Amino acid sequence: MNANPWSPRFSGKRLLKNELNLSETVFQGLLKKGNLIEIPGIKEMFFYNECQRCHTRKPSHFGKIPTETNQPIPHKKLRSTKSITYCRNCIQMGRVSTYEPLYEWNGPASRPPKMKQPSVWRGELTPLQSKAADAMVEAIRNQSTLLIHAVCGAGKTEMLYRGLWIAFRNGFRVCIATPRADVVRELAPRLRRDFPSIEVAALYGGTQDVDVNAHLVVATTHQLLRYSKSFDVMIVDEVDAFPYHHDKSLPKAVARSVKPCHALIYLTATPRLDLKMASRLKQIQTISIPLRYHGHPLPLPKLSQVFKLHQHLQKGTLPKKITHWIEQRKAAKRRFLLFVPTIESAHALSKKLNIPYVHSESSNREELIHHFRNQRYEALITTTILERGVTFPSIDVAVIGADHDVFDEAALIQIAGRAGRSADDPDGDVTFFYNVKTKAIVKARQYTELKNLEGKKFKKEFD
Amino acid sequence: MHCKICLQSIEKDTTWSTLFDFRERTLCLSCDEQLEKIREPTCKKCMKRTEEKLCSDCMFWEQHLGEDPLDRNISIYTYNEYMKEMMSRFKYRGDYEIVYAWKDSFQQAFHAHFSKGIHLLPIPLAESRIFDRGFNQAEALARLLDQPLFAGMIRTGQEKQSKRTKWERLSAKNPFELIETPPENVIIIDDLFTTGSTVRFAAQLLKKAGAKCVSSLTLVRS
Ligand SMILES: [Zn+2]
Ligand SMILES: [Zn+2]
Ligand SMILES: [Zn+2]
Repeated sequence: MNANPWSPRFSGKRLLKNELNLSETVFQGLLKKGNLIEIPGIKEMFFYNECQRCHTRKPSHFGKIPTETNQPIPHKKLRSTKSITYCRNCIQMGRVSTYEPLYEWNGPASRPPKMKQPSVWRGELTPLQSKAADAMVEAIRNQSTLLIHAVCGAGKTEMLYRGLWIAFRNGFRVCIATPRADVVRELAPRLRRDFPSIEVAALYGGTQDVDVNAHLVVATTHQLLRYSKSFDVMIVDEVDAFPYHHDKSLPKAVARSVKPCHALIYLTATPRLDLKMASRLKQIQTISIPLRYHGHPLPLPKLSQVFKLHQHLQKGTLPKKITHWIEQRKAAKRRFLLFVPTIESAHALSKKLNIPYVHSESSNREELIHHFRNQRYEALITTTILERGVTFPSIDVAVIGADHDVFDEAALIQIAGRAGRSADDPDGDVTFFYNVKTKAIVKARQYTELKNLEGKKFKKEFD
Repeated sequence: MHCKICLQSIEKDTTWSTLFDFRERTLCLSCDEQLEKIREPTCKKCMKRTEEKLCSDCMFWEQHLGEDPLDRNISIYTYNEYMKEMMSRFKYRGDYEIVYAWKDSFQQAFHAHFSKGIHLLPIPLAESRIFDRGFNQAEALARLLDQPLFAGMIRTGQEKQSKRTKWERLSAKNPFELIETPPENVIIIDDLFTTGSTVRFAAQLLKKAGAKCVSSLTLVRS
């Protein structure tokens, strides 16, 4: 079907020479034929440089390698230059420089085959989920943009199924981009199970998967830096989250990775959108899902003030209110997550309570999460890394030091959203322990009240 | 100013003590903290961590070479996990600018142990490595010191030595060749000093060709 054997591998990608992994003869042949085109790795402008992979322009992100040395690179191209400029911002994906260009496929394009029966999923959607699913189908048909604003536990993934089904029937290439590798690891197996005939590639740092013309790419946002004009449907999960939110170059990567005609679906639970984004979104169709899939309201966070909480944490002691909360859980045989602001406090608390802890640099992070999920652990201490995406069916949640900077409004909303996820146990206790009541704490509570009110209204309309 | 490792701005953690330090800072405090300097007691000759005067490595070389061609090695850091990670970014990812993170300590070590004007010999790298990486990491380090470089040695043998035993290394062919007469005093520069075989191969050639004093300055003693 694909006349060109290289097309499925390279269509829609922007790669370094060593990522192409071709023999020199094949590589030169493809260049000569014009099937591969070379793109300068760094665009050198008068006032700034721009990396053509990660699009950074920050001067501190660029480095120089001198070439007038005892042992220079033996390359004719470099005879007239004093140095090579390279990008330090995305160097973990291989070095892009004025000497190491990027390559894009320019030969016949590949499309994944159209699938007659992409899914075996027989679940049912709630009326609200259905509303979002239909809006997404519309967006895919019209190749337009849609924002789905759904509370944690609204059943986001199932909402996508109808749209995905239509996309795969049409042979569209779809990408779900999310900021966290944990989410990729959780989402990809679910989608493989529910869409068994679909080619799925799960991409994150350290993955073995390769995307050879897959129907569906589930990837961390950083992986998008290897794409160009690739996807017909782009679903960006947690638009508000780090690093998409902080890194201005990632929106550019999203824009580059889609085909000229495309559907763009944004998903978010939390309203942390900067003003610029918000104003732009006014022109975007928005669907709001204030209710969880099981129809129960969001658990309202309890606020508990503890004097000198941070001194306690520093000294490694625990105030009574908190030990009491933990004992209550234990007595009721409730499983729980304790969120703490820093790795140090996680470590100290773990020692004191004899409860395992995870943080962003834990080497056995996947294993710990796995053990908590299959109930080998009764409790887990965590930094903000478990704030999003990863879900456990029936747990209580406490934030110890909720007034710390790392817990902004969105983080607190997401954390509270970990509780009461299952229909059999929709309540779950959420408690914020803090010394000073911050704006974020107040706003996170207001958000919950507001969403629960909206949800109630909707339920009334429907019943 | 930005930290050469984490790329974050360093103005933020300026304290009173750093405020009056007019040297250009290339590292933020939290990255700097993770680098670990070698502490006493060490081998008097190669700075390996040991209670003995002379470590077993150095004894081995003295026994088997008759006379050790290397007069002394100075190293600065230990090969902890953090340094391993930095080295892999520097050498395998080819992030040249990492070298400036070590600038201050490398210069200080040089001035504490050697006098100005002595020729530096960065350990030459195989051509194929230069092609991939774009630079010789030993030369990058040598260039931090602003001293004359001696470029009269080339590498003819292959690179990977770490998987060999001491005996195999000893009997291996010297991977270097001299193409110029060396100066009287030479300081060999390299990134890692593990058993010292690479540095000693180079020192052997230099001494044979008439060099009087050959020392080495290496960033890491592992
Ligand atoms: Zn870049
Ligand atoms: Zn730093
Ligand atoms: Zn020694």
